[in-house]
Parts: sequence; C-alpha cells; structure tokens
Amino acid sequence: MTAEAALVAGAIAVFFAGVMLLHRSLYVSAVSLLVVLLQTAVLFLLCGSPLLGLLQVMIYAGAVMVLVVVTIMAAGHEGERFADLSFPRPLAWLGLAAAAVETALILSHGALPAAAAPPDPELQARFAAALFQPYALATEAVTLLMFLAALAIAPEPEPKA
Amino acid sequence: MNLTAVVWATTGSLFAIGLAVVTFRRQLLAMLLGLELMLAAVNVALVHHAGLFDDAEALAVVALVIAVAAAEAVVGLALILRVRRSGRGADASVLTELRG
Repeated sequence: MTAEAALVAGAIAVFFAGVMLLHRSLYVSAVSLLVVLLQTAVLFLLCGSPLLGLLQVMIYAGAVMVLVVVTIMAAGHEGERFADLSFPRPLAWLGLAAAAVETALILSHGALPAAAAPPDPELQARFAAALFQPYALATEAVTLLMFLAALAIAPEPEPKA
Repeated sequence: MNLTAVVWATTGSLFAIGLAVVTFRRQLLAMLLGLELMLAAVNVALVHHAGLFDDAEALAVVALVIAVAAAEAVVGLALILRVRRSGRGADASVLTELRG
C-alpha cells in the first residue's frame, strides 16, 4: 500500500516538475514547484518521517515559496514574462484534485494513513538527539545562517539628497 | 511494487528535471527554483534510506539541508532583486561581469 501511495505522490510531483520546466510563465513555475514540494512532504510522511514532512511544508512551502511568489509579483511591472500571473485552469484543478485525494486518504485512515510506514519512535528520538549532540554546531550555524539571510533582504538605505 | 524503486524513480526524475531547469531556463528566478527542486529530490532519497538503514543522522542531515536551502533561497532572492533594481534585467545572459 505504501508503494502505491508513494507512486501517486511521486507521479504528481514529477508531472508538476515537468510543468515547471516547460511553462514560460515564472508564476506558473513557482506554483508548480509548490505542488512538488507538498508532494515531497507526503513522501516524507510515507517514508515514516512525519516531523521532516512538517518541516518541509512549513519552511519550503510556507516561507520560501511565499517569498518567491512575492518577488515575482513585486517585479510584475518589468517585463512581459513576469506580468503574467494567470494559472492554467486544468493544472489548478489537477493540483486541487491531488490534494483532495491525498487528504481523503489521510482522513479516512485516522491521524496517520495506513499507507505510511509507522515512524519508529526510537529512530525519531535518536534523530532529535543527533541534532543537538553530534550536529549541535551545525544546527547553531544554520540558525545563524538563516538570520543573516533574513538581513540580506533588508532594503538599502536611501542615499541622502 | 517496491517502495525503494518508486522513491528512486521519483527522486531521479525530480533531480534530472531540476538540473534541466537550471540548465535550460535563462531567468535567474527559474534557475533558483530548479535548485530548490534538486535539493528536495535529494532530501526524499535521504529520508527513505534513513528509514531503511535505521540511520538517525541522515534525518538530522535532511533537517539541516532544509534549513540551509531556505537560507540559500532567501539570499538568492535578495541578489535577484538587487540585480533587477540595478536595471540589468532578470536573465542570466546579461550578467557577464563581476562588477561591484
């Protein structure tokens, strides 16, 4: 059952990745990548790692893709390819249908779908411990990196007249 | 049907498509999206094999990759916006000199 569910999520991800490659509009590419990232979060869940699936949705789909879409919208007036914020209706329906099917699968099996490999509690505990013992320095460095990255988008000070 | 085969087929396809996006698309933003796709594909393979080999450190690496990729995307977007504000457009072909 898990392989079949992963096949559905993988097929949707590969299809929308193809749309991202072939479609001219940057907006459609960005939204297609959003669908792909949500499908990879489903694959994390199916592989028995719900925490990383949640992180994937929060950080990638929630933060990064919102930044990308805002960047596209902010640059909308400069150039035809950026100004096109329309999204092909069939693709939208396909994405929504995929989300509905997967949500129904999850809800019909209670909190965790039967298709998902049950997360090994001991592995998840060792994973959390690994982040703050052998990888403590890397975790702190990444936290600092994200803070410095946030400073990168601070606007330049206006030159004094 | 074998889950490992499905994961390999999916991640291999996603990585190849991401590489194609970075190679063939000329907009800087599209190239950045291609990078994100490649990183996501590698993460899925890592998570699957972490479960197969019961390796908690691989899961820790995935968490760090997700965070570093988010930081990379933010810095990339800031650079793209700065290039746009300098009036040089959004295509990679116009950026031919490393000027301050």
